[in-house]
Amino acid sequence: MEHSLLFLTAVKSPSKRVRASAALMGLGQLMARQWVKGLAYLGALAAFIAYMAATGVRDIAGFFTLGTVEADPWLGTAGDDSIIMLLRGLLTFVLILGLVLLYRSNLRDILETERTGAYGERAPGFVLSMRSFLNNKFYVVALAIPVAGVLVFNVIPIVFMILISFTNYGGDIVPPKLVDWTGFESFRRVLSLSGIKETFFRILGWNLIWAVLSTAVNYFGGLALALLLNKKCVKFKRFWRMFPILAYAVPGFITLLAFKFLFSYGGPINHYITAAGHSAVGFLDIDAGMKARIIGIFVNAWISIPTSMLLATGILSNLNPNLYEAASIDGAGPWQQFRQITLPFVVFSTTPVLITNFIGNFNNFGIFYFLRGGLYMDGYFLASDTDLLINWLYNLSIDNNYYSIGAAVSLIIFLITSAVSLSVYVRSNAYRREDSFR
Amino acid sequence: MKWKKTLDWLGAHLALLIVCFLFFFPVLWLVLASFSATGSIYDLKGFFPGSFSLSGYKTLFGDTTMYDYPNWLKNTLFVAVGSSILGTVLVILTAYTISRFQFKARRTLMKSTLVLSMFPSFMGMTAVYLLMVNFGLINRLWALVLIYASGAPMGYLVQKGYFDSISASVFEAARLDGASSFRVFRSIAMPLSKPIIVYTALTQFAWPWSDFILPNLLLKNKDKWTVAVGLMHLDETQFTRFAAGSIFIAVPIVILYFCLSGFLVTGVTAGAAKE
Repeated sequence: MEHSLLFLTAVKSPSKRVRASAALMGLGQLMARQWVKGLAYLGALAAFIAYMAATGVRDIAGFFTLGTVEADPWLGTAGDDSIIMLLRGLLTFVLILGLVLLYRSNLRDILETERTGAYGERAPGFVLSMRSFLNNKFYVVALAIPVAGVLVFNVIPIVFMILISFTNYGGDIVPPKLVDWTGFESFRRVLSLSGIKETFFRILGWNLIWAVLSTAVNYFGGLALALLLNKKCVKFKRFWRMFPILAYAVPGFITLLAFKFLFSYGGPINHYITAAGHSAVGFLDIDAGMKARIIGIFVNAWISIPTSMLLATGILSNLNPNLYEAASIDGAGPWQQFRQITLPFVVFSTTPVLITNFIGNFNNFGIFYFLRGGLYMDGYFLASDTDLLINWLYNLSIDNNYYSIGAAVSLIIFLITSAVSLSVYVRSNAYRREDSFR
Repeated sequence: MKWKKTLDWLGAHLALLIVCFLFFFPVLWLVLASFSATGSIYDLKGFFPGSFSLSGYKTLFGDTTMYDYPNWLKNTLFVAVGSSILGTVLVILTAYTISRFQFKARRTLMKSTLVLSMFPSFMGMTAVYLLMVNFGLINRLWALVLIYASGAPMGYLVQKGYFDSISASVFEAARLDGASSFRVFRSIAMPLSKPIIVYTALTQFAWPWSDFILPNLLLKNKDKWTVAVGLMHLDETQFTRFAAGSIFIAVPIVILYFCLSGFLVTGVTAGAAKE
């Protein structure tokens, strides 16, 4: 039933009780002698009205003004805190949405009572209707807490950041100074303000290269390793497989820190270089250039290849071995068999994973945060030549408080990743199978 | 043809040796360094320490004035165990419900999680950070547990794939016998899904166990640090302490992974390899 349709059905209903519930939520239930339910609906409505009267209306006004009184330590005036006001306004909107949903459930409930009541049954009491609710609407009960959690800790923060990207919050403008709505100003600055613009496009270019290259290296590396371990002539497969699984099991941050030490000035590699009479190499220094990027790709491969190997092993075990036999009877060599049988099959069944990996690599924060972390280079605005957009985002918003610009960059990242995945999804076969998008 | 086979065998094993060396060497290096008698990386003189002792581990647990490793470990355990329990319950409930029930909001929910997962994780985290700062919730370990556990249902697809693979007739039969939805979930679905529960609990444990972004943002006091945050603050002169601390928290998780490697393959391929 659509929104308005439900409401219209209720208003035009011949039953007094339904119309009563449409006018005042819970009233119809009381008239049907469903005391607990009716009082619960009425109570929720009363609490909502009390909240709106106490702070809700002011909060919504504050959401639009973002504060009008600036704090003045000399006069001792406590000013408005724009960010708190933004947040309170947002929460009030969520509450209003909640009330609308509750109102709809009230309409649906009373209509249901009328329908069964028409057959001359007594309206079910509270306990009974709760029990039947748990049984028939198990999914509502089961999903309530997960959905609420995701709402509070994922959806609201994301909406909050989207709102922030349309303000001038950050830099010098942090409370007690007043923050204002500035429309698309932050996006304009990222894309056209000199200094920021160059940084953005430089990082974006490297970010795309990085994502494509490292996804390819990890994917084919894992596939190659799985094929190698699958070879008939390789004995003690479990033994050989132990090593990549070991790498897989070591927590990522330990691996990353260990590699940083490995390539550091005091590290063993530099020790042998100096021992051979050369001067130490700053592999990860600010002027390292390509060296640091290549090390990043290598370290990322070290961490990710075991996972893609496990995946490829699982998928290869589903592949019908008769195909190979038929192919070799037809005279296909090993390379041709790989091209014609293995690769299409594996790629076909892992397209969704490939997209997930691509996005994961596009937003791979840890690699360069640990290997280099916090380097600011000439020609870059608060970033270095290995930083990905996600690292830049961190430098901007966490280390330097450029919140609105950071939020704008996040939204741009979102647009890029969702565009890439959408275009691949639409083309992939997985999309056509109803449930398997991933 | 015989020499060709030998060549093939030789090539495969040579490649395997190189690959396994690459994977094993850094780990071996770290293990041996943790038993080094000296503390700084400059004293190692190359890949392996000259003399071995247990002093790295002794200072790790004994000398806690600057770097309180036992305390970090306690904090990490609290966060990881808490998120693992809470997160597993939430993920399993979500995945089971979405896999088993047809309801109006189902497709909407699935699509929304897909869209939500496209936002860079940092975006939400920056907001969570700002909110926590504004509400004075910095330095609370339970706040971390809540954030990890509530984010967990977003990754329900692997578990959903597993539930999809259980034949629907089992559930139908129970329903016909008059079992309620909750009863079916508890007495039929749960016993059938042990592998996926173990897999979920393990991944939900391993994530906070080795995450550094969130604790680094939200835990500013030294006494609240988790191991990941603490180890990040060790420099080259504390290398042996770093190595010992890393090995000490890596060993349990490595053992867990090896014991449960059967479950791992189930998990990794459950959602992905569908035919």
